[in-house]
Amino acid sequence: MYLPDFEYYAPDSIAEACKLLSQFGPRAKVLAGGTDLIAKMKNEVLKPEILISIKKLDQMKKIEYVPGKGVVIGARSTHNDLVNSKVLNEKYLSISEAAHQMAANQVRNAGTVGGNISNAVPSADLPPIFIALNAAVKVTGVKGERSLALEDVFAGPGKTNLTQDEIITEVIIPDQKMTGSNYIKFGLRGAGALAVVGVAVAVQVENNVIKDARVALGAVAATPVRAKKTEEFLKGKKVSDEVLAEAGVIASGECKPISDVRASAEYRTDMVRVFTKRALRAAIDKGHV
Amino acid sequence: MSEKNFNVIGKGKPRYDGRVKVTGAAKYCGDLKFPNMLYGKMLGSPYAHAKILSIDTSEAMKIPGVKAVITAKDVPSLKYGISPARWDENCLCIEKALFVGDKVAAVACVDEETCYKALKAIKVEYEVLKPVLDYMHADEDDMPQIHEKYAKNINTEIHQEFGDIKKAFAEAHYVRTDTFVGQRCYQCPIEPHSAVCIWQDNKLTVYSSTQSVHYFQHYIAREFELPMGDVRVIAPFVGGGFGGKLEPTGLEFNGAALSRITGRPVKMFYDRQEMFQHNRGRHQGTYKITSGVDKDGKILGCHVDFQTDGGAYTSLGIATAYYAGALLPLTYEIPVYKFDNRRMYTNLPACGAHRGHGAPQPKYAFESHMDNIAKAMGIDPLDIRLRNARRPNTETVNNFKVNSCGMKECLERAGELSDWRKKKKEGLPKGRGIGISTGSFVTGAGYPIYRTDLPHASCMIRVHEDGTSATLYSGTVDIGQGSHTILCQMAAEAMGYRYENMKMVASDTETCPLDFGAYASRQTLMSGSAVKQAGEEIYRQIIDMASTMLNLPPEDLKCELGVISSISRPKVAPITFEEVARRFFVLRGPLIAKGVYTPPRLGGTFKGAPVGTSPAYSFCVQAAEVQIDEETGKIDVERVWDVHDVGQVINPVNLHGQVHGALYMGLGETIWEQVHFDSNGKIVNGNLGGYMIMTALDMPPITSEVLEDSYEIAGPWGAKEVGEGATNPTIGAFRNAIFDAMGVSVNSVPLTYEKVWRALKEKRESENK
Ligand SMILES: Cc1cc2nc3c(=O)[nH]c(=O)nc-3n(C[C@H](O)[C@H](O)[C@H](O)COP(=O)(O)OP(=O)(O)OC[C@H]3O[C@@H](n4cnc5c(N)ncnc54)[C@H](O)[C@@H]3O)c2cc1C
Repeated sequence: MYLPDFEYYAPDSIAEACKLLSQFGPRAKVLAGGTDLIAKMKNEVLKPEILISIKKLDQMKKIEYVPGKGVVIGARSTHNDLVNSKVLNEKYLSISEAAHQMAANQVRNAGTVGGNISNAVPSADLPPIFIALNAAVKVTGVKGERSLALEDVFAGPGKTNLTQDEIITEVIIPDQKMTGSNYIKFGLRGAGALAVVGVAVAVQVENNVIKDARVALGAVAATPVRAKKTEEFLKGKKVSDEVLAEAGVIASGECKPISDVRASAEYRTDMVRVFTKRALRAAIDKGHV
Repeated sequence: MSEKNFNVIGKGKPRYDGRVKVTGAAKYCGDLKFPNMLYGKMLGSPYAHAKILSIDTSEAMKIPGVKAVITAKDVPSLKYGISPARWDENCLCIEKALFVGDKVAAVACVDEETCYKALKAIKVEYEVLKPVLDYMHADEDDMPQIHEKYAKNINTEIHQEFGDIKKAFAEAHYVRTDTFVGQRCYQCPIEPHSAVCIWQDNKLTVYSSTQSVHYFQHYIAREFELPMGDVRVIAPFVGGGFGGKLEPTGLEFNGAALSRITGRPVKMFYDRQEMFQHNRGRHQGTYKITSGVDKDGKILGCHVDFQTDGGAYTSLGIATAYYAGALLPLTYEIPVYKFDNRRMYTNLPACGAHRGHGAPQPKYAFESHMDNIAKAMGIDPLDIRLRNARRPNTETVNNFKVNSCGMKECLERAGELSDWRKKKKEGLPKGRGIGISTGSFVTGAGYPIYRTDLPHASCMIRVHEDGTSATLYSGTVDIGQGSHTILCQMAAEAMGYRYENMKMVASDTETCPLDFGAYASRQTLMSGSAVKQAGEEIYRQIIDMASTMLNLPPEDLKCELGVISSISRPKVAPITFEEVARRFFVLRGPLIAKGVYTPPRLGGTFKGAPVGTSPAYSFCVQAAEVQIDEETGKIDVERVWDVHDVGQVINPVNLHGQVHGALYMGLGETIWEQVHFDSNGKIVNGNLGGYMIMTALDMPPITSEVLEDSYEIAGPWGAKEVGEGATNPTIGAFRNAIFDAMGVSVNSVPLTYEKVWRALKEKRESENK
């Protein structure tokens, strides 16, 4: 295994980066933390000839609260930035907790939010909790900026709806009415394991009644998916073990997992049931988003 | 024989090489650089089974920086392997490639990058053949034959019978058959294999990440028809082997050939994927066991019938095949025993010796089988083991002589530590279970790998001229298990000297006397015996010299920690080892001594009798407590208790480190590890992300104890092995704990969460019927 030759650019502005991406077309790729891209190049899964590093674009490495907009997470923020961010710890501890369950410390220091999304791997850990919290992404291309719901970014395994010249610059978590959220990653060992099933939920519970709920599932379909029937079912229900168990059953009917060396489709389906139930319970009991 | 009689052994002395390793100063083979050195890589077959029609290297040769490209015609065609009975591997494939990654060609270039370019430019024309991928069906008529010499793809066939098994079963109160299935595992040493070959002036020097410099010297000399004296093999620091670095790889042979052709040093190495492909890890197998017991659960006879997957070559697998059954009659007294095994060839990477060589999977099967019998008969699992436990000074049915044996004491102590009786009486919380299992292992193999009358171990000690240090010269290899540390402790103890002043020159066939190296848990007992002998010889010479210096009879003198004093006259001023050694050098020349060890003749005379013989056997028991998540099948390990009979402990820190390390590997193989292949025989998880070795977060709390007053007559100061035996009981203990917790049996390893989940689901479904 060795890293093939490539040309390297480290532009000073987002506009310039987009211009380079547009100019070189599919031969070029964005390089963020490189934890995914470099490994794929070594394994010859991807063969970009040009890498456009975004390491100089410091405006993309921030996590802050913008009143009226929400919490803005720069796409170059690393997983450990999410873990350690004061803003997130206070407002969305579930995101910090989700990031803490990823990979290992070394990878968390290098891997970025933008990379995790753009990779579009079904088992990625950040999309489910972002989707549960109704996140949007800001995307910049040669033609300017646009914003889309995070769940609309994904087109299939390894595929996004971004155009070749577009860069994800921000993830925005809008202000919430949700009272609790939680992400459960079910991996097969204590660390360094990809999710066999990932379940993220956000709930708005008032007087023990579920006013609103969002449920997002990872690793059980071609893209991270929302369990919309489950969400509908939950709305208006009084919290009880039976209701949460029923929600789990419905969610397990909303996934389309594959079988691979890590787990069978049958097992994954049943784990969606179990972890939807447990994630809901935790989100309700924890009392924080 | 308690610790207080010793000055150096029995103490947790710091690692001999700890500092250089943790500071990064230690140079491993892959760190070595030589002037003019080239880099070499091998081209692996993309197909599991294919005829090589042609190889065109011309384009590769044109790439700037490519110095040599070789194929089978450039290397010796003599087949090699570990044991002469089954030499079946070539330096480079001649007609056929037999697994994905099998070596087809090799290159030497000015740098690593050029190697990869050169490999890509080699054009090989293959005729793809149907591969044999399933060892359980490898002998069927529609399966292609992999090796010309081996019909039905049977690599090794074993049939041994001791006593009349039919009669034993006929007389039994209860006869039961169980079948369990094991998986392919890989040792995953942290250091990748590498070799630097320097063929200059008719002499071949090979630096290699090997577990045995002697065997490598032997294999390489044989392959290139060189006198042993012209082949020097050196093992620098080695970062783990676990059996996987005991046999030659294509790296040494092809590196040597490339060095001869180019006249320059050549460094060859595997990356992680290539390590997985080279493999030589754990055999997978199907283990059928039938036992007959009397009404108390005492074993009257056992028939074990195995079939295992050897992969494309024999490797060390012939020994593995014998070990699989040979070691089972050790922990329990089995009076009548029948052992059948077939090791099959497949078009998958070759399997070999993997920590606990051949024993852990059959032991898992046997220990699970024992619990099934116990449950069926209403006997406590601890009691059935106590009733069958081997006693000291006995002989197994297959002629292994057992001296020290604390099997019963280990069981009792593990029972106490784990609170077994109380837990069994009062019951455990829901989802909680406890299991127990035994293990035993050789302390060095009774016979060498190839036939020779050479002693198994030898060494030399030279005291520095001024007595301020002493150097132990030994062909042993410290692969991380800490053998340098304990051998220096043993040398110092025998010499009446200090560990802190010991130096070691090791693992070099030119400067060190022969030792067979690190395998079969042999160095403590075998190399240690040689070291003890050499140390005692130094002691005698020191005392003799001191006797003339002090004018006292030698019998009245003792030397401890480098101080020589009179036993009867405490007022006589002591003198130092340094003074005496210096005087010795002035008057008598170098103060040197040698030691040598050959095991006694061991074992029976039947076919395969040598495998499993050993001067001494370790015994151990593990108990494990688990908590099962009923909904997911997830296994949380609450605690593991390990009690070992290892004889005299030389270094307790090292010893418990070995127990922890073995448990780490054993538990990994129990729940997580498995090499997976696609339908073409290609590994799909040949990397550390996909091949699930445990992380620190998965490691359970461990209580590790030894039997304090165990003494083994065959070992130096009473010592015996710990390194491999500790992998033996682990899988069984966990399977039995899950069995206890949930009442379901998972009959194949790894005992993944999904398998536990499935077993629970099936149980619920059958209960609902
Ligand atoms: C050992 C290991 C363990 C891992 N464990 C986990 C885990 O537990 N959970 C998990 O989810 N992932 C895991 N990963 C995957 C990976 O680390 C993450 O997905 C990480 O977030 C990728 O980010 P990166 O910055 O390294 O991406 P890169 O490798 O730099 O890029 C990945 C892809 O995204 C594109 N890209 C990057 N940034 C942008 C952007 N801003 N806009 C547009 N395109 C962009 C790149 O062009 C490339 O195609 C693991 C990886 C490794 C090596």
